[in-house]
Amino acid sequence: MSGNESTLQSRLLRGAHRTLTGLHPALESLLAAVVGLLVGAILMYIYGFDPWRAYMGLVKGAFGGSYEISSSLSRATPLILTALTFSICLRSGMFNIGAEGQMYMGGIASVLVAYFVLPTGLHQIAGLLFAAFAGAVWGIVPALLKVTRGVSEVISTIMFNWIARWLALYLAIFVIVDPMRTEKTLSIPVSARFPVLVRGTDLSYAIFVSIAFALVIYFLLWHTAIGYEVRAAGLNPTAARYGGIRNKRTMFLSFILGGIAAGLAGATIVMGLPPTYAIYGGGGLPQLMNLGFDGMAVAMVGRNHPIGILVAALFFGGLNAGGRVMQFYGSNPVPLEMVRVVMGAIVLVMSIPELIRIFPMAKKRTEELIGSLRRLTRRSERRESA
Amino acid sequence: MSDQATPSKNGFFLKADRITKVYSDGTVALKEASLEIRPHEIVGLLGENGAGKTTLTKILSGLLPPTRGRVVSPKGVVRFVSPREALDFGIGMVHQHFALVGTFTAAENVALSHDRPFTGIRIAETRQDLNALMEESGLHVPLDVPVEKLAVGEQQRVEILKVLSRDVDLLILDEPTSVLTPLEVDELFTLLRRLKDEGKSIILITHKLKEVGSITDRVVVLRQGEMVGDVKTAEASTEQLARLMVGQALEDEADAVELSTEEIPHARTQSDVDRTGEGILHVENLIAKGNTGEIAVDGISFDVYGGEIFGVAGVEGNGQTELVESLTGLRVPVSGTATINGTNILGVDPRQIYRLGVAHIPEDRWELGLVLPFTLAENAILGVHRWEEFRGPLSFLRWGKITQHVRRLMDRFDIQATGPNAPAKSLSGGNQQKLIVGRELAKDPAIIVASQPTRGLDIGAAHYIRQTLLEMRDAGRAILLVSADLDEVLAHADRVGIMYEGKFMEVCSPEELDRERVGMLMGGATEARREAE
Repeated sequence: MSGNESTLQSRLLRGAHRTLTGLHPALESLLAAVVGLLVGAILMYIYGFDPWRAYMGLVKGAFGGSYEISSSLSRATPLILTALTFSICLRSGMFNIGAEGQMYMGGIASVLVAYFVLPTGLHQIAGLLFAAFAGAVWGIVPALLKVTRGVSEVISTIMFNWIARWLALYLAIFVIVDPMRTEKTLSIPVSARFPVLVRGTDLSYAIFVSIAFALVIYFLLWHTAIGYEVRAAGLNPTAARYGGIRNKRTMFLSFILGGIAAGLAGATIVMGLPPTYAIYGGGGLPQLMNLGFDGMAVAMVGRNHPIGILVAALFFGGLNAGGRVMQFYGSNPVPLEMVRVVMGAIVLVMSIPELIRIFPMAKKRTEELIGSLRRLTRRSERRESA
Repeated sequence: MSDQATPSKNGFFLKADRITKVYSDGTVALKEASLEIRPHEIVGLLGENGAGKTTLTKILSGLLPPTRGRVVSPKGVVRFVSPREALDFGIGMVHQHFALVGTFTAAENVALSHDRPFTGIRIAETRQDLNALMEESGLHVPLDVPVEKLAVGEQQRVEILKVLSRDVDLLILDEPTSVLTPLEVDELFTLLRRLKDEGKSIILITHKLKEVGSITDRVVVLRQGEMVGDVKTAEASTEQLARLMVGQALEDEADAVELSTEEIPHARTQSDVDRTGEGILHVENLIAKGNTGEIAVDGISFDVYGGEIFGVAGVEGNGQTELVESLTGLRVPVSGTATINGTNILGVDPRQIYRLGVAHIPEDRWELGLVLPFTLAENAILGVHRWEEFRGPLSFLRWGKITQHVRRLMDRFDIQATGPNAPAKSLSGGNQQKLIVGRELAKDPAIIVASQPTRGLDIGAAHYIRQTLLEMRDAGRAILLVSADLDEVLAHADRVGIMYEGKFMEVCSPEELDRERVGMLMGGATEARREAE
């Protein structure tokens, strides 16, 4: 009995030790979120706002009721997918900054369903397929450049974002434009729209596309040989090659999957975000802009794990939804930009590698403390047995 | 000056006094090593990989603190906290992997190395100093070209200039010739001789016997962290040095023979290996290039038959790595044929080679053998993850079966770990190697290619792995054992090929070899070969 207790004790100690020194990834994300919010609070205080009231407004606006929660979920929908784009590629050892561009292409492609008639259900699937295909194509090109010409994927994906942006803008204004209302593209026909999930909100069934895709990616990466290869190649390409894994193939695969995810993100906005169901060309694609880049922040906070991303996307969706409310909060109207400051601060904190290393002394102290605790328990055990 | 030219008893520049180094993972890298360095002298530090050469020089140059022992200068004990302090004292090291900023010019790189916090970088001044230094040393490099555009030999000269510009008295070079062409080696040696004449001390780390003979004044031989020889180069023969390096110190040769004879009868019990026709592994005229484009494997032919261990001995860097990589799908050779049971394996994907029944225990378990952040379970299926045993429909991994498999491996190969989900990097070196060996042998292979299977392992783990290989041999498998540990090869192989510069100097049974001849063959002494013929 005492033997069991001591193992439990030592296990707890070890757990505490690991938590304090290595910081569990999830805790690290939480810490980053807290620090980000703190930075925001300090800035608000400096500029004469009441941070407490502002954050109360933010929380209420994000999760205060079913309307608010629906808004947050709706804003999380595309972020889940663009975050997956970044994470899948990172797992295979590549930096895919191209979610933004791939998402534009996906969004544009999904508008094509307006040109033909299909029964509901098939029509949505057709739109998703178009979007996935367009996103994947936009993702493959940088992968090809990398494999054949050695072009850094960081550079090429960023450049492809700009190509996609202007191409999408051109197509939205001149090609797939609504002849009656030239500021937007053709609207998605009703048969291809994702129905609204909660009445009176802009949350649609599109969120299930995001969640399903995240689950698919989770099973793919951790439960299939294909995903195993992707992760092995990402962590140690040399060992992967030794293990008979073709690194080029895993790289292609990750870019294709990433492109599909980003393309679907575009589709969830175009086909699943009431009330417009179209892309506004005017103002530079305002509905789509920055979703790809925000996805990278979500991926970081979600620790590049599909399940973590689901949680992180909800948090970021909440920030976006609640930020609007914070803006109009009575006598304390904090500008919406403050939310982006908070996001930026979170990303900065997340990019500090192994946060706890800033405090090597703290680490050493805890180690000493745990060492002495262990010695104490051992001594008492010995005494007991004697 | 005069007392420098004839060093008196106290005329040393720096002395390592009984230095012991134990790394935090328990590896004993140096045992009571002592070394005296005098001006006007080039000391060769000779030893295999892992012998402790680099550790010793890192301690001398302030990169590592010694666990026990001290570094002494004529003025007393010195303790360097950083390489910078060692540099200030007059000790400079040129590492095997250059520490240069590729996009900076030579002048900028040198200026950078002089940089102190808040002093700024003075390129123009450095250029002037460098021009003077180049004039003085005869060491010329273009100063205004980014160093990544320079040849490797030139880059090395930049490194040397960097150190010389700090006015050092002791120059330590870690394997400086491994990246150089023969012509560049000649140039380097001319420079080193000139520096020596100027009164500097030079330590040359190497495992090439030829170099030692041609340039050093004194040779210090390290073997497994112990200093086994400190002789004047003029008084030592190449064979003697080879023996010191790969065999044992002369004085305990008796012990060593006893040790190996103890294992030999156990090791070779099977003499009824049928060596007619082609072996399980058949290699003919294999030619392969190394990473820098030189011919590393130069027309090798051999067969490995079921039920025997074919050993490849030799000083490292003579083509063993390239040979193994060519046979396991990691390197595409230039020409030749290699088959396993008649099927070609050259230029074939590793995955297909494993399907033919090849197990590969790689020489670098961290880089090649394991994905360190992966768990035990994930590592246990590396290379076999697509086999039906572990992969179900839709490419789903059968984690249940995999976990069972790992538990069996942990039992059978005595792998100490907290469980199948422990990360591989949390294991000790011995357990990591057992994991690899277990994984590879679980493939039920026809042939096992084992490259340095016991390097860096403690005696227990090494013994265990050797026994396992012997068991596999007795079970009729073919084994190709490549090792820099000569005793290991001689004690376990049924036939030995001694490799030198990409060729087999000799292929024979270990009984036909005595230690002296092995040393000569490994050192490339062709006379030994001729005598034998």
